[in-house]
Amino acid sequence: MTIDHTRTRPLRPRPVRARRAALTTLAATLAASLTACGFVNSDDSSTEDGGGGSGTVTAYVNTEQNAGLAPLVEAYEEETDSTVDVSSANTDELNQQLRVQLTSGTAADLIRVSPGNSSPVAAGVLGAEGELADLSDAAWTADLSDDTRALAEVDGQVLAFPVSRNAIVMAFNKQVFADAGVEVPTTWTELIAASEALAAAGVTPIAAPFQGGIYFQFWVYALAGTLVYAEQPGIDAQMEAGETTFATSPEWGEVFAKMADLRDAGFLSDGMLGLPPDQGLQAVATGEAAMVLMVSAGLPQLYGYAEEGAEAFDVFALPATDDAGATRVPVAPDFLAVNAAGDQEAAMEFLDFLAQPENVEEYANEMGVLPGLALDVDLENTALDPIQPLLSEGRSVAYANYLWPNGDVQQTMLQSGQEWLDGAIETADLLGQMDAEYARGRS
Amino acid sequence: MTVTQTRSAVTGGPGTEQQRRRRRPPNVPYLLLVPALVFYAFVVLVPTLSGAGYAFTDWAGRRETPGFVGLDNFTELFAAPAARSALRNTLIIAVSTTVVQTLIGLALALALHSTLASRNVLRTMFFAPALLPPVIIGFLWQYILTPAGPLNDALSSIGLGGLTQNWLGDSSVALASVIGVIIWQNAGLTMVIYLAGLQGVPPELHEAASIDGAGRWQRLRNVTLPLLAPATTIALSLTLIGSLKLFDQVYVMTNGGPGYATETLSVVMYKEAFVSGRYGYSTAIALVLTMIVFAFALLQLRGLRRYEVQQ
Repeated sequence: MTIDHTRTRPLRPRPVRARRAALTTLAATLAASLTACGFVNSDDSSTEDGGGGSGTVTAYVNTEQNAGLAPLVEAYEEETDSTVDVSSANTDELNQQLRVQLTSGTAADLIRVSPGNSSPVAAGVLGAEGELADLSDAAWTADLSDDTRALAEVDGQVLAFPVSRNAIVMAFNKQVFADAGVEVPTTWTELIAASEALAAAGVTPIAAPFQGGIYFQFWVYALAGTLVYAEQPGIDAQMEAGETTFATSPEWGEVFAKMADLRDAGFLSDGMLGLPPDQGLQAVATGEAAMVLMVSAGLPQLYGYAEEGAEAFDVFALPATDDAGATRVPVAPDFLAVNAAGDQEAAMEFLDFLAQPENVEEYANEMGVLPGLALDVDLENTALDPIQPLLSEGRSVAYANYLWPNGDVQQTMLQSGQEWLDGAIETADLLGQMDAEYARGRS
Repeated sequence: MTVTQTRSAVTGGPGTEQQRRRRRPPNVPYLLLVPALVFYAFVVLVPTLSGAGYAFTDWAGRRETPGFVGLDNFTELFAAPAARSALRNTLIIAVSTTVVQTLIGLALALALHSTLASRNVLRTMFFAPALLPPVIIGFLWQYILTPAGPLNDALSSIGLGGLTQNWLGDSSVALASVIGVIIWQNAGLTMVIYLAGLQGVPPELHEAASIDGAGRWQRLRNVTLPLLAPATTIALSLTLIGSLKLFDQVYVMTNGGPGYATETLSVVMYKEAFVSGRYGYSTAIALVLTMIVFAFALLQLRGLRRYEVQQ
């Protein structure tokens, strides 16, 4: 008995040690979990307090902006001894993550936002929610073009800085045009005639990579620029006031009628709804197709598919009427905004640096895009020279969807638009569906 | 008495075990489980429960407290044509992939459960697609199925030009194309499950059945298939649950198009949250999808277990 007792004594502390170990592990796990969930603040530099004077600007931008900003960030860091910490993602990913970051207080000081109300992270939407800082006092706001200002302002406050502007242009293969004896069309009738000549030469006149709907929307915005906004500049206000709708607007009806003309004449790619964008661009590069309507930011991708590069292509503004002087070119700004909960002062200083004419010029030349601000800069890239006269004459318009009340109208247009292209629904059905989403966005 | 106790202690007798059990505090094993449970709760349970709550709100991912909207999200979900179409597509995909994939997987397993010299190479070939990420599969087949893609080229080159299709751009064949890709990717996985099941079928039973005069088909029907019932349960359950949640391949290949022809509930859920910013509505879709998966899985498991017992 004594022996047993002696033998078992050393065993007694074991449960105590085990329990203590378990409790220690539990405490550590709880602490880690609570910290991870944000109940315990383990970081001295909270984004909520602005962290002013840290000497570091954080930025979350899309991949295109990241490429254009890289040399400017380097120059800014050298000039100011500050640090610009840039993270990037493609636009879709960025749009998905940004709202969550803003809600959770982890967003960067400087963020890429969409123009108008076109997505849940657009300047208009975030501005109305108080997520963006007011930039109205910045000197560069005087250099905003009218179409850009309309998208950068919310309730009279400038909330976004345009690093660049892109245009929707018709890119064409110069050799294919020459072989078919086709001149650059400046009117709708000329466009139809050119398409007939190209089709007769055995070439697909217009590449229509409409899988996913992204390239389809360019047609809607480009045709609407001339047919809707040139005729009815105040149509957005009328629609917002409920005075007109997509379905009752003859101008909007004409946009889709023109599109239907091209489809029914067989001028668009066969199997357009199954054709991905990259294959559409390749078709133009290889000469299987003659033209493709696209955003200017995508031109480098098109050039990459041809041996001659940029030399093989040229661009023109898509005509929609028989009055060449009526043609409008849709232009979209690529925005940066300042997170109201971030280090506003440091972010604004960096924007002031980006707004200097030499830096606006450098960004535009680096990326081959239009300058974000309406400044007289020397562009090395001549790709957009054919549309410069239109821009100089003020014949530019914003993309139609930017001032729609939410992103759902556009989403409906993309998806139901595919059904419309397929002949499954009529134009009135499509416009009616867009009206329904528009009305829901207004309510 | 002392000697006995000492011997029992040395030999690890039952008396000692009882003493050891008495000495071990009963709550220590449970305490050791707590870290994992806490982690699971924070990662899975809390988001799930809070998500269920958001399904009854109009939350748009903003800072302000979301408003309670009762069953509005669910009413809208069952009233919206796009959502109903997505539900129909989801069920078509689930049923067709489950049935066809299981049959193909079983056929492959039976064919490759043999003394064929190249069986290991063939098994690897058929199983390989299941090892690739669904997104990669999506991009690969998006390219193969384009109008001027390799599949149409191959059909034309062997004189079957009449069979060429706009596989992903024609709403009448797009859903079937997506289903075909899903089956192509996962049939190998079903095959492996059945191959594992076939390893457990005693060869003596087949020999006995042969001696009794049973032919190949009779042996398959009366010996092999009944013993494969557990493998069938696993294969059907995994396939059905996976296909009800299908997102990656559809999103990459068609983004739900053309129009709404290939949209699944998961794709609608994604678009409502990240394109439209309607997180409350999207969570309601997620909740409905969870219920559908749960109901299907429960019914299927019950039925299959009963089948196993009968066998």
